[in-house]
This record gives sequence, structure tokens and C-alpha cells, in this order.
Amino acid sequence: MRASFFGLNLAMTGLYASQRALDITNHNLSNVNTPGYSRQVVNQRADTPLAMSDGTGMIGNGAQVFGAQRIRDEYLDFKYWSENVSYGEWDIKKTLLSDIEAVFNEPSDSGFNTVLNEFFSAVHELSKNPSSLATRALVKEKGITLANYFNSTAAHLEKIQSDTNYAVRSKVEEVNSLSEQIRSLNEQIYKFEIQGDVANDLRDQRAVLVDKLSRLIKVDAQEVVVGKLSNGRDDKRFQIVADGKFLVDNFRSYKITYQQSDTKNNPEDIPGIFNLYWEDGTPFNPGGGELKGYIDVRDGAGDSNNEFKGVPHYIRKLNEFVRVFAKAFNEGFIDYDGDGLIGAGEDKIGHADGYGLNSVTGDPLPGIRFFTMNSVSSATFVGAAVLPDDINALYDDITARNLSLSQDIQDSVDNIFTSTTAGEKGNGQILLNIIDFRHDSKVFNEGTPEDFMRSLISNLGIDSQQAGRISLNQETIVKQIDNRRSSNSGVSIDEEMANMVKFQHAYSASARMVTTLSQIYDTLINRMGRF
Amino acid sequence: MRITNNMLVNNMMYNMANNLERMDRIQQQLATGKKIAAPSDDPIVASRSLKMRTDVAEIHQYKRNVEDAGSWLEITEASLQNLGDLLHRARELAIQGANGSLTTEDASKISIEVEQLKKQAVHLSNTTYAGRYIFSGFKTDQNLIDEATGLYNITVETAGLLREDIKYEIGIGDKININVLGSELFGGAGTAGTPPKLIEDLDNFITALNTGDQAGVRTAIDRIDENIDNLLMVRADVGARTNRLDLTKNRLMADDTNFTKLMSQNEDADIAEVIMKLKNEENVYRASLAGGARIIQPTLVDFLR
Repeated sequence: MRASFFGLNLAMTGLYASQRALDITNHNLSNVNTPGYSRQVVNQRADTPLAMSDGTGMIGNGAQVFGAQRIRDEYLDFKYWSENVSYGEWDIKKTLLSDIEAVFNEPSDSGFNTVLNEFFSAVHELSKNPSSLATRALVKEKGITLANYFNSTAAHLEKIQSDTNYAVRSKVEEVNSLSEQIRSLNEQIYKFEIQGDVANDLRDQRAVLVDKLSRLIKVDAQEVVVGKLSNGRDDKRFQIVADGKFLVDNFRSYKITYQQSDTKNNPEDIPGIFNLYWEDGTPFNPGGGELKGYIDVRDGAGDSNNEFKGVPHYIRKLNEFVRVFAKAFNEGFIDYDGDGLIGAGEDKIGHADGYGLNSVTGDPLPGIRFFTMNSVSSATFVGAAVLPDDINALYDDITARNLSLSQDIQDSVDNIFTSTTAGEKGNGQILLNIIDFRHDSKVFNEGTPEDFMRSLISNLGIDSQQAGRISLNQETIVKQIDNRRSSNSGVSIDEEMANMVKFQHAYSASARMVTTLSQIYDTLINRMGRF
Repeated sequence: MRITNNMLVNNMMYNMANNLERMDRIQQQLATGKKIAAPSDDPIVASRSLKMRTDVAEIHQYKRNVEDAGSWLEITEASLQNLGDLLHRARELAIQGANGSLTTEDASKISIEVEQLKKQAVHLSNTTYAGRYIFSGFKTDQNLIDEATGLYNITVETAGLLREDIKYEIGIGDKININVLGSELFGGAGTAGTPPKLIEDLDNFITALNTGDQAGVRTAIDRIDENIDNLLMVRADVGARTNRLDLTKNRLMADDTNFTKLMSQNEDADIAEVIMKLKNEENVYRASLAGGARIIQPTLVDFLR
């Protein structure tokens, strides 16, 4: 014999189930644009049936909702995190290499090529008319322009290095903040789930944070089962490993620290480079991501320490250029065999081997240098050095940043040496000899001075192009994975609307059931037994 | 595959951004007239462009050098021509003077004219170009022959490494000397304080005329002939150099045209092609906008009442 009001209870379970389902639909629709949100579906089943003892079988007990399930494919998360690392790294490299390209400003009418062409052009004019003060002034001005070009290019590169240095610091702070947030979410999720629930929305939030973190550094994030809880469920811990150590170990997060070092990683570096360490003092290596992008551009000299060609590489190349150029122009030194010494046939005629406009016959060779550094005079620059090898070594102190015309030239254009013999105002032989090295294809490994700069700029172009391509490829891959995630976990408005109508109808039907039962009870209670 | 609303929006935005980026690149080509804006756009074009700019700049400089050398040689040539006329006149006068029937009065008239010729010769030796003495070797600030004494004012070295050839570079490693050394033109020892042969010969001629030394006047004819021969040799040399300059100039002009053309082919955008591409991209962009507007608007919401 069934209970009289059993039908109403049954209808109630239908109403409740539809309401829960509508709530979830509502929640999904509200979060249609929430980043990282995974759609939820209602988990519903028929309630445990009652066994009838009178042999009429089992009787259904209505619907039961036993939770909201989050639709998420964790494999796609792992894929996303592993591909996002490269995207972050190369996107930063692409941007910064374009910045370096902009510094060199080639091809244009104001870049290195133009400056060098104009300088040599002025030298040519002076070789034709060495006694003209106007032409001498022109050579001086074009020389200053050339030196300024290198000064400002090096200064801009240093600025990029300093900017990336601060970017490294702020990215490290971002990493620390993210790992702290993840740690705190771990706690909340653990507390919720120990009671048997699934913290759907908190898990979504945590995945979003790991998405962000995976763009900054290379991380390995996973939930591991470490044992069983007293209630019989798995004891899961969320761990993030970076550079072989725990960044987050469930309820504990480990900070990355930065310290300005006293020793430079590269001789070209600006002071105050931030080096990264774990809390325990061991060096931290990001292994990828935006942080690696910034560090590679900041520290990469293209050598065994860091093979990436970043800012130090370009400063080093510019320094090499100005040293060799100043040496060849001033002294006529061209180190053909590259042994750092000035051997036979490597000491040609240079500026210092000549005589100025007003030197008279019998003057000793005063040896004025055209280029020095920081505007010092030739005498200060050369000091006590006499032997070619000693003078050669002096040029190691010249950098693209400090290259200048010597004080002597800046004081008086008469000091531009053009003549091979004292007292000959029409003698421009020195200049003609100097001009020769412009076409000497053995001045640099890369060839002539212009070949050197051209190869520098075209290598920069190739590197930048490559960074752009890798970044684009990674972007496509990451986008593809994100699309698949969206496909799986995203909210579809159409689907939710259809569900809404479905659940609404189910609700109406259950409500209708109540009405029908109510009529039955009305008949039963009010009308039966009345005569 | 299950398609969600956000996927549609994201994909549309991503594709639209790509279309816009392509359009931006093409518009940049149109605005600058150049194929590339940065080396990374095309490293090979960039590298070639740098090389060609240098080549063109050098050709322009060599053209200027050739023109300057030409002007210098023109002045030299004019002076040499004057000197030639002068020597021919001196030779005529010498032949006249060698005529035995000349009176002392006639001889002194000739002597006065030769005296003037000598002064003119000294003057020519001190010809300047843009304020520089053209026959003084490297000592362009000092005159060759002293106007008062008729002796060399300076030493113009002609031997070995010290030889005072002024050279202009008119091609890579191609140098041309543009000056005529005074000591070679006027003869003699060529050192400061010594007499130039040409002036000395004229002096001897004048002395012979003034002293009625017939044999001396006849010798003067031979001496003047020697000077004329020397001058012809120098003029032939100058002519040859002018010739070489002309050839170089022609070649540089051709190079200039060729390299400028190559440079343009290498780095300039083909405007017609770029406009075509721009139109094409514009169409793609419009189509993607139109498609996007259709695809993201309707949902089931619009149809449920």
C-alpha cells in the first residue's frame, strides 16, 4: 500500500531537480565571458527506488541531483602550459629585437651607412684640398657626427638593457605574486574538497593563474595523490615545479629573489644587473617564458655563457668596430692575423704618422690621434706607450659609448694630419693612405668596415625575423589549444538556452503534476464520503 | 567539434587583427615607397640596400673627385698652352736675332720683348687654382719661381717616395696625379735658389742679344727648342691624363645610372602591385567584417519568445 501523499513528494523532487538545473544554467550564462570558466552540468539521477513487498516490483522515487560537474580536459591544460612558455619567451624576444632594429635605424638616410659615407666623403674632399680650413672643419664635424652615432647607438642599447633589467625584476615579482595566489587557492580548494565537494570555480581560478604563470616561466604543474584521507577519498596535493624545485608545494610557496650583483656577467653590461636566486641562495633559471626572454636579451652576448644574441652582443660588436676603426684610422694598425699584436706588414700609415697644417720642416713627429675616448688629448691617451703593441693595447679602452675626437682636433682643425712631410700644405697623402683601409677586405673577419656593419645589421634582421616567426607559430599553437579548451569547456549560449527551455518544461511538468495530484486529493478529501 | 560563442568571437578577432596587420604593412609600403621598413622584413633586401647605398655614395664622391681633377688639369693645360705660345714667340725672336743684319737697336727691341716673355713665363709658373699654386707640388701655398730673382723659390721633389704628385682617388684604389711638377716643366736642378732652365735660357738669350753675341743667339734657338720639346712632352702627359679622366667620368656616369636603378629595384615598392595588394586586402577585411557581423550576432535567444 503506497502512502497517500507519495505523489506530491515525487513531484517535489522533480521541481527541485529542475530548479537546480536552472540554477546551473543561470550560473553558466552569467559566466559566459569569465576568463578560464569551465561550464558545469548538473549531475542528476533517478533516486533509489522503493521495493514493494507486495510483489508489484520497484517503485521509482523521483529525481536526485548529486552535484554540478565541471567540464574540463586536464590534458589540454598541460598542453597549454607547456606551449605557452615558448610563446611568452619568443614574443618578448620579437618585441625587443624590433626595438634593437629601431636603434640601428637601417636602411634609412640617417643610419650608420649615411654617417660613414659622409665622413669618408669629407676625408676625400680634404685629401684633394688639404689647406682649406673649411674642408678641415667639415672633416672634424663629420668625425664628430660619426663618434656621436656610436655614442648614441650604444646609449640606446644600454637603455634597452636597463629597461629589460627592470622588466626582469617586475616579472619576478609577478611570479611571486602568482605563486602566492596559487598557494592560497590550494588551501581553499583543499578545505572545500575535504568535505567531499568539488570546488569547481576555485579550480578554474587556479588554472587561470597557472596559465599566467606558464607564460612567465617554465613550470610543471600537477595534482599528485599522496595518500588517502580518513574519509576514504584521495589526498591530492597541487604542486608546481620550476627549475627542478618546488615553486608551490600545496600549502607552501617559495619565493624567487633578485640581487644586484657587483660583478658583471658581461664586460659590456651596465651596473646593477639583477641576478635571480631561490630563497636558499641557489641561482634560479626560468627555463623559458617571458622572464627568459627578458634575461636572454639583457645578458645574451652570443658566447658560451649565453648563446642568444642580445644587447651585450650588439654593444660588443659596436665596440669591436670602433676599436678596429679608430686603430686603423689613427695608427694604420690592421691586425690581419688577429693575434692582438702588430706584426710585420700590420703597421700601415695612419693619422698619427702625418703632419698638420702648420707644422714646419724639422718638426718632430707629434703623433696626434684623430679619435680618442671621452675627448682626451692624444698625449693623455697615448701616455708613455711607444711600442706599437703597447699603443695597440690602449685601444681596448675605447668603446662605442666613449669614442670621441681627440681634444687636439677639437681645439684646432690645423691638427688634422694630412701631410707625409712637414711644411707641405698641399700634401694630402696621409688621408689617401687612410682611405685605402675602407676597401681592405681583411680589416674584419666579415670584410671591410662597411661589410662588418652590414653583416651585423643583416644578422640582426635574420634573428628578429626568426623570433617573429617562432612567436607567430607558438601563438598559433597556443591559440589552437585554447580553442580546443574553449570547445570543450566554454559556455555555448545556444546550448544553455536549449537547456533552459528543457528544464523550464520539466519544471512546468512537475508543477502540473502537483496540480493534478492536488485535484486528486481534493476529490479524495472533500468530495468522497459526502452524500 | 563543439563551437562556443567565445570561440567564434576570439577567432573572428584574431583573424581580423591579422588582416589589419597585413593591411598596415601594405599601407606602410605605399606611404614610404619602400619594400621594407626594418631589416627583419627582409634581411637580404636590407643587406643589399646598405651595400648599394654605399656604392652610390662612393660613385658620387668619385664623380666629384673626377670633376675637381678635371678643373685642375684644365687650368694646367691653359697655362701650358700659354707657355707654349710664349716659347714659340721666343723662338721666332731668336731666329730674327740670329739674322746677322740686325742693328743694335733692333737687337735691344727684341731683348726688351724677350725680357717681357721671361716675366710672363715666371708669372705662368706661379699660376694659381682656387688660391693654390699649381706647379709647386705639395707646397701649394708657396710660389714656384721668385718674381724678383727668377730663381726657384722652393724645392719640388721629383724623386722616389718624396715625389710631390698630388693624387686624387677616382675609383677604388685608382689614383690619378693631377699636377705638373714645376721643376720638371721649367727644368734645372729644381732645388730652391737654383735657376730654372727655361728662365736661365731666356736670360742667356737676352744677354747674347744685348752683347751682340751671334753664336749665343744661335745657341738660344737650340735651347728654346729643348724647352719646347720638354713642354710638348708634359702637355702630351696632361692630355693623356685628361683623356683618362674623361673615360673614368663616362664609366662613373654609367655606374651611377645602373646602381641607382639597381638600388631602386632592390628596395622600392612596385606601387601598382602594392595598390593591387591593398585593394585585395581591403576586400578580405571587408568580407571578414561582414562575416563576423553575421556569425556573432544571432543566438537562440533571438528566436525564443
